[in-house]
Amino acid sequence: MGEYKYIGKSVPRVDAAEKATGHIKYMSDLSFPNMLWGKIVRSKYPHAKILKIDTSKAEALPGVVAVVTWKDVPGLNGFGIVIPDQPVLCEDKVRYIGDAVAAVAAETKEIAEEAAKLVEVEYEPLPLVDDPIKAISEDAPKVHDGGNVHLHTKIVRGDVEKAFKEADLIVEHTYYTGRQEHAFLETESGVAKLEEDGTLSVYAGSQYPQRDQMQLSRCLALNPRKIHVVSYPVGGAFGGKDELTIQPILGLLALKTKRPVKIVLSREESIISYWKRHPMIMKYKTGVKKDGTLVANKVEIYADTGAYASLGGPVLNLAVEHACGPYKLDNVYIDGYCVYTNNGVAGAFRGFGVPQVTFAMETQMDIIAEKLGIDPIKLRKKNALRRGDVSPIGNKLTTSVGTVAVLDGVKETDLWKNKDRIEKVDKERPWIKRGFGFALTYQGTGLGIGLPDYGGAVLRFREDGGFIVGVGIVDYGQGTGTSYAQIVAEAMKCPVEKVSVILGDTDLTADSGPTSASRGVYTGGRAAVIASNRMMKILKEKAAELLSVSPEDLEAESGYFYVKNQPDVSISYEKIAMEFLKTSGHLPQTEGYFLMPIADIKIKDAFGLPHHIFAYSGHLALVEVNTLTGQTKVLEGAEVVDGGIVVNRQGFEAQVEGGYVMGMGYGLMEDVKIEKGIFKTVNFSTYIIPTVKDAPKRIQTVPVHDPEETGPYQAKGIAETVMVATAPAITNAIHSATGIRIFKIPATSELVYNLLKEQRKNESTD
Amino acid sequence: MKEFNYLRADTLSEALEMLEEFQGNVKVLAAGTDLVVRLKGDMVKEENILDISRIKELKGIYAENGIIHILPLTTHTEILEYPDMKTAAQILYDACKSVGSPQIRNRGTLGGNVANASPAGDTIPALFVQGAKLRLKSKSGERVISVEDFFTGPGRTVLKPDELLVDIYFPTMSDDEVGFFKKLGQRNALAISVVSVAAKLKKSTEPNKFDKAFVAFGSVAPTVIRGNRVENALMDSVVDSPEKIRYIAQLAWREVSPISDVRASLKYRQDMSINLLYEGLLELYKNGWNRRS
Ligand SMILES: Cc1cc2nc3c(=O)[nH]c(=O)nc-3n(C[C@H](O)[C@H](O)[C@H](O)COP(=O)(O)OP(=O)(O)OC[C@H]3O[C@@H](n4cnc5c(N)ncnc54)[C@H](O)[C@@H]3O)c2cc1C
Repeated sequence: MGEYKYIGKSVPRVDAAEKATGHIKYMSDLSFPNMLWGKIVRSKYPHAKILKIDTSKAEALPGVVAVVTWKDVPGLNGFGIVIPDQPVLCEDKVRYIGDAVAAVAAETKEIAEEAAKLVEVEYEPLPLVDDPIKAISEDAPKVHDGGNVHLHTKIVRGDVEKAFKEADLIVEHTYYTGRQEHAFLETESGVAKLEEDGTLSVYAGSQYPQRDQMQLSRCLALNPRKIHVVSYPVGGAFGGKDELTIQPILGLLALKTKRPVKIVLSREESIISYWKRHPMIMKYKTGVKKDGTLVANKVEIYADTGAYASLGGPVLNLAVEHACGPYKLDNVYIDGYCVYTNNGVAGAFRGFGVPQVTFAMETQMDIIAEKLGIDPIKLRKKNALRRGDVSPIGNKLTTSVGTVAVLDGVKETDLWKNKDRIEKVDKERPWIKRGFGFALTYQGTGLGIGLPDYGGAVLRFREDGGFIVGVGIVDYGQGTGTSYAQIVAEAMKCPVEKVSVILGDTDLTADSGPTSASRGVYTGGRAAVIASNRMMKILKEKAAELLSVSPEDLEAESGYFYVKNQPDVSISYEKIAMEFLKTSGHLPQTEGYFLMPIADIKIKDAFGLPHHIFAYSGHLALVEVNTLTGQTKVLEGAEVVDGGIVVNRQGFEAQVEGGYVMGMGYGLMEDVKIEKGIFKTVNFSTYIIPTVKDAPKRIQTVPVHDPEETGPYQAKGIAETVMVATAPAITNAIHSATGIRIFKIPATSELVYNLLKEQRKNESTD
Repeated sequence: MKEFNYLRADTLSEALEMLEEFQGNVKVLAAGTDLVVRLKGDMVKEENILDISRIKELKGIYAENGIIHILPLTTHTEILEYPDMKTAAQILYDACKSVGSPQIRNRGTLGGNVANASPAGDTIPALFVQGAKLRLKSKSGERVISVEDFFTGPGRTVLKPDELLVDIYFPTMSDDEVGFFKKLGQRNALAISVVSVAAKLKKSTEPNKFDKAFVAFGSVAPTVIRGNRVENALMDSVVDSPEKIRYIAQLAWREVSPISDVRASLKYRQDMSINLLYEGLLELYKNGWNRRS
């Protein structure tokens, strides 16, 4: 990799200075003359018929400019990435406590809030659907007329029942995972504004401006060209801003009032109203031979998607696809249900269904290793998928497969090297127990088969000889923008400081698909390489013309073209830019589009499956459990990650560290509690996320350099896999420390304490 | 959030004047780290807010005749940074250290923590076992009460509408006194106590015996409470083994009357009252009943 100037280096983030100094303007910082404030009226019941909506009192309040209800929606009163089943404003029924029923625009935020309280809605409560398994039964009350099963995906390969008969050991358990909240710093916020030419500008942080534009055009019955979406910068997203949130309501209010309208959600409204990670109930039955060979896996998955579809279907399918882990398995039976309930709404979240099944499968693997007395790494290696193998769901893995490289890399971590020196029981405080845990995972890059998946980039040559790269992908903290700058600088042979990046704008950037599925660097990066190669050709030809040589004689370096073997004959990019302006009056622009490669086969009845490219990671944890209180402290963590070739070393480490801590929160504390459809944890006083004091003192990052030929500079995406297996690494470590098994996350202190208490009870009765 | 009338007093007498004038329709504001949260949630019925944060007479720490006085507007950080506080009032010191985060400790005041009267207020159990007294003052006079007599329920105190808390004081810990403050939260910072326990023991000349014992629990009753049964057991026994400590700690079960909420269940809080006390005592025992260095 020595030949690269920027790829693999710790190039500082392009947005570091403006973020560190507070100069960056997020959408919640925007303000326009004559601006109104919007407020959304939300349902009072988790499931009810709407009998009547009376807005007259709200309209009469001085300072109120408009009140909108379903009657004001000019287009389709529905949105949703897969099926638009969620009303912009509910007409006859509400399906969760955050459902939007009306909205107000007023001169001040306070008046808007006051007016929202004056909107009178008469409801007739309907029976609640809050248990995803009960919801499946025929006689359960229905959230949607079509029934409560939004999607059922079943994949059967081989014959599990026969294989179980041949197995030496069968491990069977049911697993439960929590409802994790994205907890981005910036809540759903933004401004919509009608421009003089009739264009509707929508400034709201999100993950895919062009799809927002499409969905908004459908709801608002507006030509998409008359909608300008700006979705960058964003104060965090993690999947929670993939779907629309407040944008259609902002649009409605701006169209009706013809004035700019702003909405900033409170933390409470944000938590109640929008997407969460799907809680899942997973029944696992795994059969294995004495030597550790996996022979069968039977999995049932129930995903609680809440009131509306959004991305619930694809989330379930990713869970199904990854349910068996990166292991060879020829007999599988995976039966998944994505179920509607009145428990809020669930949607996209970093990992997208994979953290749930990874928790289950990696606990199964840990149990098997223990029962058979096989080292956990050896057990995984024995079953590891390798390049050329057929995956558990039946596709051949033809791209890079890092399973073995990751497992070998584990031995390079300090945690592994020192694991036998861990003091299992604290000498001074013997009620403190320590343990080490491991978990392995993988995560598909990109959208999967059947979904058009492409990257797009526009590259503009700048007057000063630099470049502007415009990609529709949004950098919501993961560092994609900096990677694009590095990729363009590398491809254009120019200083990275001379590359500026524009993201997430329907006017200024190329459609590059959603910022999701670990695909940002991979797809947008490849598109940027293609656009760069085209630009290079144009510049080279111009330089050749100016130097009166042939293009083949030229070599580019640091913003100059040199004539080979004549180092003193050169021309700068800046000079070339001036020549372009002189001769044609404008500077060249190129575009690059990249179609994502797809797998060899399509899995029957499983939309989007399989994926073709995967990133792999191994997660390690050293924990300390206080057996008096059940508190778990993660002392140290490590991750071995196969993301192909690393584009930005510092960004890579930041992803690992952030992902690890997010996975730790998922494993130990995070769960939005909903009882009878009502949210019990609506802000950070009760919805607990880790602080810096909870983070391990060190998280080691060990990249595995396994090049992925199809990627930009042979890179893959890592944004999700880095958080996916942290929870089971930690719960496996809790087991190694204490002997108790965690089948439900978050493993809160109380849960761990209760299990320890039960263990003591059983010991004393044995 | 509803509107309210903002008033500011720059001296103590001004503040007492205003308190008398508004007769109960006024809420005192110190740093506001508790009050502003309540204001935002529309949980304050008073229409006037009296900002006392700039009253210099109510800020500061001094020691006099073996008594430490902490004036109510002193912040948690100022307490932690006061020379020798760690030795003189180790239990309160540890409690202040556990409050919120650096930002909250830099603003939040001891007076606010006490007057807020939360059963989860972290300095309160520490002040209980440090034997603190509170001086309450109004325009017409003043009185001194024990911190234990101050609270009447969650968020409720014996403060009269025209009274202000003006001094919090307690004796310096002597060399033969040891103790601890232990807090169990849902995480390691910015956590509201699920259970907290404070204890102070005055060692007897005989080994493993105590002349005096003070134990208090937070978050397990409508107010912070003393654990008299535990105290009596500690004073009446030779505390010479982990088993003995366990046995005594189990008495905590009879002291506490917790509830279940979204943070923890009743049962867990009950068990934790025992186990935190046990852990704290055991740590001291293992250290030969000496303070940790
Ligand atoms: C994020 C966060 C984390 C927190 N973490 C903790 C924690 O870990 N542990 C903990 O115990 N607390 C915690 N708190 C609560 C709070 O910070 C503390 O209780 C703090 O000490 C309150 O002091 P204050 O000056 O801000 O009080 P204020 O909010 O100004 O006042 C609190 C109450 O006391 C009354 N009051 C204040 N001073 C006087 C006086 N001199 N006389 C009469 N009445 C008075 C006020 O009228 C009000 O009712 C936290 C708060 C926040 C926001």
